[in-house]
Amino acid sequence: MDVFIQILITGATLGAMYALASVGLSLIFGTLGMFNMAHGLFMTLGAYAAYSAASALHLPLVLGFVVAMAAGGLIGVLTHLLIVRFMLGTPDFGMNIMVATAGLAIILQDLILKTYGGYPYPQPVRVDGFTQLGGVTITFQALVNVAVALALILGTAWLLMKTRFGRAIRATAMNREAAMLMGVKADTVFLQVMALAGMLAGVAGLMISTQATLSPQMGADPLLKAFVICVVAGLGNVWGAGVCAFGLALIESAIGYYFGMRFGFPTMLMLVIVILILRPQGLFGREKVVRL
Amino acid sequence: MTRLDPLFRHLLLSVVIVACFALLPLVLTQRYFLGEVIVFFLWAMVALNWNLLMGHAGVFSLAQMLFFATGAYAVAMSTSYMDLSIWAAIPLGALVAALAAFFIGLACLRLTGAYVALLTFAIVGMVHVLIITETECFAIVRNSCQQLFGGAPGFSQFTDFGFRPMLRGNWILGNYYAALTAFALCLVVVVVVIHGRLGLAFRAIRDNVGYASSRGINRRKYQIAAFCISALMTGLAGAIYAAHFRAAGPSLFDFSTLLFVLSMVVVGGVGSTWGPLVGAGTMMLIIEFSKSMGDARNLILGVSLVIFVVALPKGLAGLWARLRGSRRRPLSEPEPQS
Repeated sequence: MDVFIQILITGATLGAMYALASVGLSLIFGTLGMFNMAHGLFMTLGAYAAYSAASALHLPLVLGFVVAMAAGGLIGVLTHLLIVRFMLGTPDFGMNIMVATAGLAIILQDLILKTYGGYPYPQPVRVDGFTQLGGVTITFQALVNVAVALALILGTAWLLMKTRFGRAIRATAMNREAAMLMGVKADTVFLQVMALAGMLAGVAGLMISTQATLSPQMGADPLLKAFVICVVAGLGNVWGAGVCAFGLALIESAIGYYFGMRFGFPTMLMLVIVILILRPQGLFGREKVVRL
Repeated sequence: MTRLDPLFRHLLLSVVIVACFALLPLVLTQRYFLGEVIVFFLWAMVALNWNLLMGHAGVFSLAQMLFFATGAYAVAMSTSYMDLSIWAAIPLGALVAALAAFFIGLACLRLTGAYVALLTFAIVGMVHVLIITETECFAIVRNSCQQLFGGAPGFSQFTDFGFRPMLRGNWILGNYYAALTAFALCLVVVVVVIHGRLGLAFRAIRDNVGYASSRGINRRKYQIAAFCISALMTGLAGAIYAAHFRAAGPSLFDFSTLLFVLSMVVVGGVGSTWGPLVGAGTMMLIIEFSKSMGDARNLILGVSLVIFVVALPKGLAGLWARLRGSRRRPLSEPEPQS
């Protein structure tokens, strides 16, 4: 029973971080049709921003989250204004934007490395203490992470489903031309989506750094997992991404517990390949009818 | 001017290029420069094959460095553990890479577009993590523990081409001509594939899957063929790399190494024939000159990727074609209707 609870808690903590990362990634893909290779660096940037703010100003926890969110949102907006805007609608956009964002990723990583150095820091924006449930230790940090992630995801869902702003995003994702004909300003929607996804990524980064340490490469591993989650859910399917994040995190933590941490991700990936062979459009993706 | 068959024309050009490189050591004798040219051969091979896959077959795979590493690791492991001769290990490395590509292709090429890129990227990430987290000793080499796949430090100091005792001070010349031979082989393969029937099928699939398949071209079959051919040649480059440097390690999986080669393809021109060769030379020169300004390598890589993709998506080859007017269009553009 203890083992079960332990796996459940580890899975939920991981799942909360993966969900935040992959919901943003999926949102960007669904709306702009672009795969953001720099998403991992958006996370890293959020974490470092919170670190800087906390070590300079001794911010309380809540403000740390706000700073991480702001930093992530800012880099999302800048990416759109400086790179994506010029490439939308060009031929081979899907491939070229991946190259461009990969380039951006290495620029940002290099800048972080040069500013902060490669030495891993502990994240000062954190909560200490733990509680016991049965024989299992639960840190308050894990509880806070899960709570914040759930709140943010529900908030995003509310934004997407219940507001005018969300309706514009969904309309653009469904059919860009039709939405524009109905008077939706696609450019504004793209900017908002990049900001929103950046904010989610920033917070995800802060959470990841509370569980491990800050380092310029910290975003690489979560990014890989977010990719896998988005592919399994079906690219652009925001709901599916959230659900798959928790599901895959649970499987990963179970495998990690029974076979050792290093096999968690590889097993997850094998599972994903099997899923994709059976359902190439992803678990939640609808089969697309291709018209020639 | 009589119009030559494009295949023949490009083959002639590759013969000229190889001949120039074969004569180069007469002029250039410093070991450092010859070493740099060898590295150029290796990266150019990877870039040419990546372009074959990405630009012509339309498969955006991020596993190119995985096949390079497979070739290098196969050489390292077969010479370290089985005392295989280096000349047998090099073709073995290329074959193992092609085999790996076949299986990865079977799994990934059920998908299309960005999915392929993501899945290949995730597979590379997984292999990287599995290699660097390996801790169990497989053998004891020079009084230290050697993991089966080399672990985080990788393999080093295994047998090389064996030119050192033969040519003594001029051993680099042996390596140079060995690498040049592989480079020449790779050029011929790439040119024949791009300008032959296979290349035609690849581009037909890339441009319009529906039309191509209705004319009897099987997408999966041809894309897996493209995957395997490009992996075979990339694996060969990796095997030569291992034999030249006597090292193979997880740094081959670094994101910056991947982007270095990607920048060669993008700067040279995706979908061209000779672009990646120009791109490889250009990027290597830029990085070489930037060394004097401190560690700016990654910054330059990123900036040049972004600038080229935004401003010149067809790379230097596209620019060249535009400067020459529309008289001879690059392969990626449709021929004008007559």
